[in-house]
Amino acid sequence: MPEQPKFTLIRHIAVALDCSPHSIASLTIAAELAHSMHAELTGIFVEDINLLRMAELPFCHEIRIYTSEPEHIDASQFERSLKLQARSAEESLQRIAGEFMIKHSFRVYRGVVPAEVISASIEADLLVLGRSGRSPTCRKGLGSTARKALAEGKKPLLLIRPGFSAKEWPLLVLYDGSKGSKQALEAALDLTHPGMTLNVLILGETRVESEEMEHQLSETITLPGSIIEYHHLPLKDGKPLMRYIRMADSGLLVLSDRMKISRQAVHELINEIDYPVLLV
Amino acid sequence: MALPAKLSPEILYRTCNPQEFNFSTTAELDSTVKATGQERAFEAITFSMGIKQDGFNLFALGPNGTGKQSAIMHFLGNTAPGATVPSDWCYVNNFEKPRHPKALKLPAGKACSLARDMEHLVEALFTVIPAAFSSEEYQAQEKNIRENFQEQQADTIGELEKKAAEEHIALIRTPAGFAFAPEKEGEVVKPEEFMMLKKEERDSIEEKIIALKTAMQSIMAQIPKWQRETQEKIKELNRNIASFTVKPLIAEIRNSYEAIEEVTRYLVTLEADIIENFDQFLEKEADPREQLLGIYPGRFSQKGASFKRYQINVIVDNSITEGAPVVYEDKPACQNLVGDIEHISQMGTLLTDFTLIKRGALHRANGGYLLIDARRLLAEPFAYEALKKALRTRQIRIESLAQLYSLVSTVSLEPEPIPLDLKVILLGERRLYYLLSVYDPDFSELFKVAADFDDELPYDSDGKVSYAHIISSIVNRDNLHHFDRGAVARVVEHGSRLAEDASKLSAHIQSICDLVHESDYYAEAAARAVVQAEDVQHAIDAKTFRSSRIREKIREATLKHSILIETDSEKIGQINGLAIYSPGGQSFGHPGRITARVRLGKGEVIDIEREVEMGGPIHSKGVMILSGFLGARFALDQPLSLSASLVFEQSYSGVEGDSASSAELYALLSAISGAAIHQCFAVTGSVNQFGEVQAIGGVNEKIEGFFDLCKARGLTGKHGVVIPASNVNNLMLRHDVVEAVREGLFSIFPVSNVDEGIEILTDIPAGELDKNGHYPPDTINGMAVARLNEMAEKLKKFISSSSDNNE
Repeated sequence: MPEQPKFTLIRHIAVALDCSPHSIASLTIAAELAHSMHAELTGIFVEDINLLRMAELPFCHEIRIYTSEPEHIDASQFERSLKLQARSAEESLQRIAGEFMIKHSFRVYRGVVPAEVISASIEADLLVLGRSGRSPTCRKGLGSTARKALAEGKKPLLLIRPGFSAKEWPLLVLYDGSKGSKQALEAALDLTHPGMTLNVLILGETRVESEEMEHQLSETITLPGSIIEYHHLPLKDGKPLMRYIRMADSGLLVLSDRMKISRQAVHELINEIDYPVLLV
Repeated sequence: MALPAKLSPEILYRTCNPQEFNFSTTAELDSTVKATGQERAFEAITFSMGIKQDGFNLFALGPNGTGKQSAIMHFLGNTAPGATVPSDWCYVNNFEKPRHPKALKLPAGKACSLARDMEHLVEALFTVIPAAFSSEEYQAQEKNIRENFQEQQADTIGELEKKAAEEHIALIRTPAGFAFAPEKEGEVVKPEEFMMLKKEERDSIEEKIIALKTAMQSIMAQIPKWQRETQEKIKELNRNIASFTVKPLIAEIRNSYEAIEEVTRYLVTLEADIIENFDQFLEKEADPREQLLGIYPGRFSQKGASFKRYQINVIVDNSITEGAPVVYEDKPACQNLVGDIEHISQMGTLLTDFTLIKRGALHRANGGYLLIDARRLLAEPFAYEALKKALRTRQIRIESLAQLYSLVSTVSLEPEPIPLDLKVILLGERRLYYLLSVYDPDFSELFKVAADFDDELPYDSDGKVSYAHIISSIVNRDNLHHFDRGAVARVVEHGSRLAEDASKLSAHIQSICDLVHESDYYAEAAARAVVQAEDVQHAIDAKTFRSSRIREKIREATLKHSILIETDSEKIGQINGLAIYSPGGQSFGHPGRITARVRLGKGEVIDIEREVEMGGPIHSKGVMILSGFLGARFALDQPLSLSASLVFEQSYSGVEGDSASSAELYALLSAISGAAIHQCFAVTGSVNQFGEVQAIGGVNEKIEGFFDLCKARGLTGKHGVVIPASNVNNLMLRHDVVEAVREGLFSIFPVSNVDEGIEILTDIPAGELDKNGHYPPDTINGMAVARLNEMAEKLKKFISSSSDNNE
């Protein structure tokens, strides 16, 4: 894995587009970031091969929410529908990129969506994804692409849900003294603009260790024009951390999966909380 | 037969002696107007205002300007303040049926305070409801409900997905729903690979997929139900939060109006409505479509709509009313009486709501008294009917006229009627009262009491004092110069002249008021501190002069002999009648020549005016009476052998009235008898079939008209007027006429029958039947009989000679 680029050095951002509300939110935030970092933005649209294959199977039917009988799936209709979606996604990209005056490109792939998105974003310094994709019903937790990106350790990875803006979000970074958490803190510092508040949640095994970490951080970090607030929570996996994040209404959560808490616990946390997440 | 004597100057004018007054100027009098001579009307008013039963409304009848309104206002000014102050009324939204706004009755002064309380409540709601709904507690609960729904949905689908995965079937999320397909290593099996499978395997997969589809369908069928349940839960949560927020605020208002059951009932429905529609108090972003159209309603209009919905439309506010209200409706149009429902135009559409209900005079006067001018009421379309309906049903029902007659087709309201309890007082002329009594059956049921205002006062000490008080009140009210007693006496005399009766005074307050104002003007011009008799006289003369153009023109034409009137010769069959002209309210008299000619005929009297349709029916009746008189006097033994024709010379505009019938008879008698009539006389008076002379109107103006002409030509002492004796009481002649009579330059003869009159006019006695049934030959009657006999002979000869010729 290449050395993690410093956030301000990110020059190429990839964003997965599928016309869902999550992907539109992702596109907006990706454009905001690209604008502030003078980076290039690439929109990735994947024609889902599974859909096309399924449409060609003889017995396949689509079950819709408000239709009583299953509808027979027509392959050509799917093809058309995907083309239309791609065009719509491209138009969204052009419109938003135009607003932010950023360099952009749009690419269409065909294949299994998560895999294609990951492989298409290899050259990018940052992959921006919606927490979940298109679906007639809201899915609990992460969508398949986000899960795949997590599972394959694609980093840095920004998972977005609608209702947040890169200019205004409050930041919460998890810090436990590990190398991963330091990277997360650095990324968070890079994203903190003047006037914003950076919340640092220190996860110490003991109270003393926790306070020690705060002391060290406060000595080393200076952020002119911004406020850094330190919070403390005993280092434990799972529920208490999740509750704390929800209670704090944190905004963007910045964390690493190479912290003292297990990688799996970090992934579960990302899966559960309904906030944008930057995984570094 | 003794002829009636000339009238003495004292009879011609009833003087009011200023010394009879015990004040020197009207400043010493208080302004209370004593209702002298109107006791009958006041009795009726007292009765009508006192009786509580339905239909005893009042019609005050009398000529315009007799002070009916002032008198009633004065009466009510004494009684109304002591009565109970009526309730307030307001219209509020009917939340269940918005087209039928509710009427609320509140104790006097409470309606406005309720309206204020409601305004404060709505303002408070715009603060507390958004606060409650943006609270963390609410947000968390709402999120929880929504997440529960999503979790329920996701869990159910997730389970099915898991079950499918066990069978190597993938649940694929399509753009519009779900589908199942066989999978291999996380990918859907390619169609060609699937077709290469054994048939049993393919069938097995298909069966599994069918089973999964069925399961998915049953899940899908559940989703709308879960959505409904979620929505219900959110609604319930909203209701709870809104209720918790709203209840204490409304309870505060309810405590203030606890005793008023109607208000507490309204507040219950209001509370339910606010809770149900809490979202109108939350801030919303403007609709982009509206912005596109250039409309920026924003928060203000949203607030405005909510303010309106819960507004109180105060229809009657008696917070500062003392006693029962007394309302005079100057323009009694239908909508001004019963109220109206106004509309506002919004994007070209006419809209209305309960706040646009406008009150009428009936609302304002409810519980008190409403005065309306009957003529104006009848002149307004539908107003009289609307008033009657309200009185008959004893409630005020506001109906949009446009709606009622389908003139406008738009949304309208049917507000709840308000109970009506008031006395209506119609003010109008007598003619209107009698017409309504005859033609409108409802009228006598609804206006059972008539206050008949007399148009005259007795010319006695009470009447004179009343006049003094009236003058004093006008002077005080309009801040004029006070009148000295001489000026008051002159006004009293003028009042008698207006009444055309030396024993009466006019009750036409408007005329008195005008004279007072005009006298004040001349007193001011003469720089006098108080108005004196000469100012009053000046005012009377000036008014006469101002309107004298036509009179002067006629007199001028007469003096130039364009209009032929002789005043110093003798003529057979010619006499000066006296006519009244009334252009523009000011009347004046002027002589007119009446002539009669006779010839052989069958005894008919031809009225030329009637023949050419210039004579009115009363005039024609008068002429026919003459035929009756002539027949009875001269044709008892033989038919009349003459035909007579009568005409008003130089009349170009028609003649009406019978006041010239005595003059016509004198002209006829002169023509038949051949006795000449002195043209220095003018005659007025009607006559009956027995030859009795009867009273006529306008006697003063008629005498003055002839006097003026004679004076212009030069009074000789022979000039005079023959009037009916029964008109002597009406004499209130001008000062110069009285003086001329005093100096013997002018005479006025009162006659009771034509025999007296013809003797005065011809200096020949009329003649009475002797014991043989003959008139003496040197009398008018004798001469007439002789002439008639002569004519009969001529006729007989003519008939016999013409029959001989025929043979």
